[in-house]
Amino acid sequence: MANELKIDPRLMAEFIKLNKNIFDAPNLAKSLEEIDLEVTPHEVVYSEGKVRLLHFSPLVEKQIKTPLVIAYALINRFHILDIHPKKSWVRHLLTQGIDVYLIDWGTPTQINRHEGFDDYVNGYMDNCVDFVRKESSSEKISLQGYCTGGTLSTVYSALHSEKIKNLVLTAPVIDGRRDSTVVSNLAKHMDVDKLVDTLGNMPPELMYYVFSILKPFEQGFEKYLNFFKNIHDKEYVENFIRVEKWVSDTPPIPGELYRQWIKDVYQENLLINNNMYVGGRQVSLKNIAMPLLTQVAVGDHLVSPECSMPIHYAVSSQDKMLKIYPTGHVGMIASSFSQKKVLPEFAQWLTERSEK
Amino acid sequence: MSLPQDMKKSLANYKHNSLFWTDLLYLMSNRQQSLAATGPFRKFAINAKNISTETIEMNEDMTEFNTRLSTYYKQLTDTWNEAQKEYSRKVPELPNDTEHMEASKRIWIDIYENYFTRLFDSADFAENFGKLVTSELEVAKHWNNMASTFLESANMPTKKEMDEVYKELHSLRKRVAKLEKIANKEGT
Repeated sequence: MANELKIDPRLMAEFIKLNKNIFDAPNLAKSLEEIDLEVTPHEVVYSEGKVRLLHFSPLVEKQIKTPLVIAYALINRFHILDIHPKKSWVRHLLTQGIDVYLIDWGTPTQINRHEGFDDYVNGYMDNCVDFVRKESSSEKISLQGYCTGGTLSTVYSALHSEKIKNLVLTAPVIDGRRDSTVVSNLAKHMDVDKLVDTLGNMPPELMYYVFSILKPFEQGFEKYLNFFKNIHDKEYVENFIRVEKWVSDTPPIPGELYRQWIKDVYQENLLINNNMYVGGRQVSLKNIAMPLLTQVAVGDHLVSPECSMPIHYAVSSQDKMLKIYPTGHVGMIASSFSQKKVLPEFAQWLTERSEK
Repeated sequence: MSLPQDMKKSLANYKHNSLFWTDLLYLMSNRQQSLAATGPFRKFAINAKNISTETIEMNEDMTEFNTRLSTYYKQLTDTWNEAQKEYSRKVPELPNDTEHMEASKRIWIDIYENYFTRLFDSADFAENFGKLVTSELEVAKHWNNMASTFLESANMPTKKEMDEVYKELHSLRKRVAKLEKIANKEGT
């Protein structure tokens, strides 16, 4: 027959193989509930409300005295910084002899809806920093903020500069007007007052929506196709499930904090213009005079580099460095690339500027 | 995009008529309802008018919500169709071997990703989406108000009352923290 459909036998074989892989998947991959994301040993040294301060156990002898406090983002949980022993941000720093603390913001509920920047920066963060200063007998600490944690760390360093020796900002949300991402586009058109007044906290399902429209075909289709194709690759599968568990765990954001973040950073762009007020005090970025390392990723589709980079020019620090990496938002902190390139440079920068 | 003028007029007319009859029926049946209602229902009988008012107002907001939702789906459908046209232009024949299948999958993903990212990046999409969420929140507000009426009738704390407690707790925690800081300073 002239119109007979000819299909490459290899194509059929691949199709059958993929179907078999889908069928085999439950026997080869763990379910999300079976995965424990807390990898590197640590203890909770301080807690306040739902916020916990984790102190990671040293893996080698301490090389520097100045401890590092990491302020994770408000979106998802901190586990991405310690997602897999081979890709762990925290573990890498520990192997360099850095004393690592991390702030876990926990999962806010309606009782936390009135908490804002003031509570987070002058309350939780300041109490955690004071605790670390006291426990480590250090007058100053190094502070690293990732994503929205970078915004909090920026505000904190501007208001409590006397407690910060070094500041590291990794993909921080700073200049909302320059942000060219989909997230920023939606944030600029959001009636945040109505949202907070009606719902209290920013609900996780709306956060999921925002994530689902970022690369919907790559992330919503190809990613899962590749997962089934690679179902017999044990390491790939474990890493995939761990990241999926992390992605699916999005806590709500306290209402007042969300309101001020959207208004002051995305809609009115007050932070970069030194017009943001927290706890009745003006946040002047000129108060940031300590050494500053800013890390941005060119492929970041959550916080565009143009949104983060202005901090480098807005501070009064003399010792400052801007690093631009050819990776993405998560790739910068949890990938083989970050282990090979981002972390060694970060650890070296920090070690050179810390008390021995 | 907002509602057409004649639609707004007919909605306003509907609202006025509904509220008028709700008020009148409420007044006319007030005494009978009070007589017939006992226990927790007595309070509910008094608050019953709130439910009708919220329902009427919710209908109005539902119209706005539906308009925004239609626009939202139209934006998605139009973008999908445009992307499909582009894909059909680039890949006119169904591939029948593995190499071509892989290449056409890549093209499909790239084209769709580009078209949809352009849509999500546009001011039109963000504006409509913002208004869609706002109208959804308006509807949610009416649900909340209705739920509050039921809770109030059952003598249970409402969302507003719970929020007052949260607010009070928040300000108390702040005051305690402040006092703790002062005490610690004086202690050292």
